[in-house]
Amino acid sequence: MRRVLHLEKIFISQYLKQTMEYKADFIVGVLGVLLNQVLNLIFLQVIFSQVPKLAGWSLQQIVFIYGFALIPKGLDHLFFDNLWIVGQKLVRKGEFDKYLTRPINPLFHVLVETFQVDAFGELLVGVILLVMSSATVHWTLLKVILFIVSIPFATAIYTALKIGTSAAAFWMKKSNTITYLFYMFNDFAKYPVSIFNHLIRWIISFIIPFAFTAFYPASYFLTGKNVLFNLGGLVVISIVFLFIAIKIWNKGISSYESAGS
Amino acid sequence: MTNFLRKYRPFVSAGIEEAIVYRANFLLFALGNTLGAFVTYFLWKAVFQSSTNSSLNGFTFPEMVLYIFLSFFTGILTSSDGSSSVGDEVKDGSIAMRILKPISFTANYFYEEIGSKLIDVGVLAVPLFGGILIYQIVGKGTPVLNLVNLLLYFFSATVAYLINFYFNICFSFTAFFFRNLWGSNVLKNALVIFMSGSLVPLAFFPPVLQNVLKVLPFSSLLYTPVMLYLGKYSAEQTISVLLLQIFWLIFFIFLAKIIWHFAIKHLSIQGG
Repeated sequence: MRRVLHLEKIFISQYLKQTMEYKADFIVGVLGVLLNQVLNLIFLQVIFSQVPKLAGWSLQQIVFIYGFALIPKGLDHLFFDNLWIVGQKLVRKGEFDKYLTRPINPLFHVLVETFQVDAFGELLVGVILLVMSSATVHWTLLKVILFIVSIPFATAIYTALKIGTSAAAFWMKKSNTITYLFYMFNDFAKYPVSIFNHLIRWIISFIIPFAFTAFYPASYFLTGKNVLFNLGGLVVISIVFLFIAIKIWNKGISSYESAGS
Repeated sequence: MTNFLRKYRPFVSAGIEEAIVYRANFLLFALGNTLGAFVTYFLWKAVFQSSTNSSLNGFTFPEMVLYIFLSFFTGILTSSDGSSSVGDEVKDGSIAMRILKPISFTANYFYEEIGSKLIDVGVLAVPLFGGILIYQIVGKGTPVLNLVNLLLYFFSATVAYLINFYFNICFSFTAFFFRNLWGSNVLKNALVIFMSGSLVPLAFFPPVLQNVLKVLPFSSLLYTPVMLYLGKYSAEQTISVLLLQIFWLIFFIFLAKIIWHFAIKHLSIQGG
């Protein structure tokens, strides 16, 4: 474990050096990510200026769900964004070879190699929103503990979907568009599932289960109801999906053929 | 002849395969982006269901549905990729090759983009715009399909694309100063999405903000063509918004020329 942390530290500092090469651009980018979230909030504000409640949820409650959604999304973005590159070019250009020749697990190496600092924009906004709306939640010690526990599981759902879909590149050479299509479903997670039709509700609950990264756990903290489905479901789904994703990844690696020159 | 065919057939099928793979990627990306439009659709549906009014700020629900999907389609139609490719080319130094060529820098980008845009829009127009038309014909309470509005829409959307192209070219010249364009692109896109009305129709903002946004060039990029399609403008308003669009187009063409004049002196080519 210490070796893992040590490696992670080296990789992060290397990556920061790379990013800092273009400092002005980087700072502007973080501002841009922040602004994007602020504008989305204005959008919510506009919606709630038309109606007092949306499908039975108040603005404060929606803000809580929205803020909750940004935390696992931001954490996955911060630590595991390199997975995109696997499906985009690492396999296609044969650059994946380097991970196979190193004395560490290739998946681990891919995961820790980059550190996407612009994710701080999402995380910061997420925390601010949660703090702003935390008064709507009736907090108990149990809820605080469950909140902390639920975050890594929710993050694992994001990472699992990215591992599984980027592993498709081992057969197809390029799979980032598939990852993108899956990933875009996270937009649905930020709102109460009851506003969607049955098909979409079913997809975001069990096929591309982003609803478990935000709405379901957040609705437990807001209402205190259905802990078994809302949080138990989160734990089960994230373990199952991570397990399947790693299986796909390992199968993919064994059929990887180096490409390019 | 058969010999000739046998020899060259693999090349043809390789070409077709490549084109299909490329378009399949493009379609998957487009499908991913469509999801965002569907989220917006369901949100507004819930809003109209929760509201006691049948029209909000002048929009009925069918009009809002048209607005959402039409603004999504218009966004693709008028998108311009110039700024990110200039950024990449400044980063890896290949921009030098473009500048060395004895043709206009801007025209070079323009014709390259037009080629791929024709195919991309062609591929998407059938499912997206077709879907919009079918909804308009079959759906209940939808605005009647109007040929004049349709023509106004395509004219206005073409001008919108040109404004966007020159705006992005102006913007891309900041790469000569900032080197990497990732950050400023993120910031620009967020602002444009908001101010052009693709996130929320401008009619939903407070009157003061609305009036400012309607004069700024961003409403010309998206809001104007979509509102023309929906027939929301009187004859007088139609003329004034079209004139405003043309004004902004001329403005950005000149601005691009002026910035180019200064930026070219600032360019330092970085290694490969």
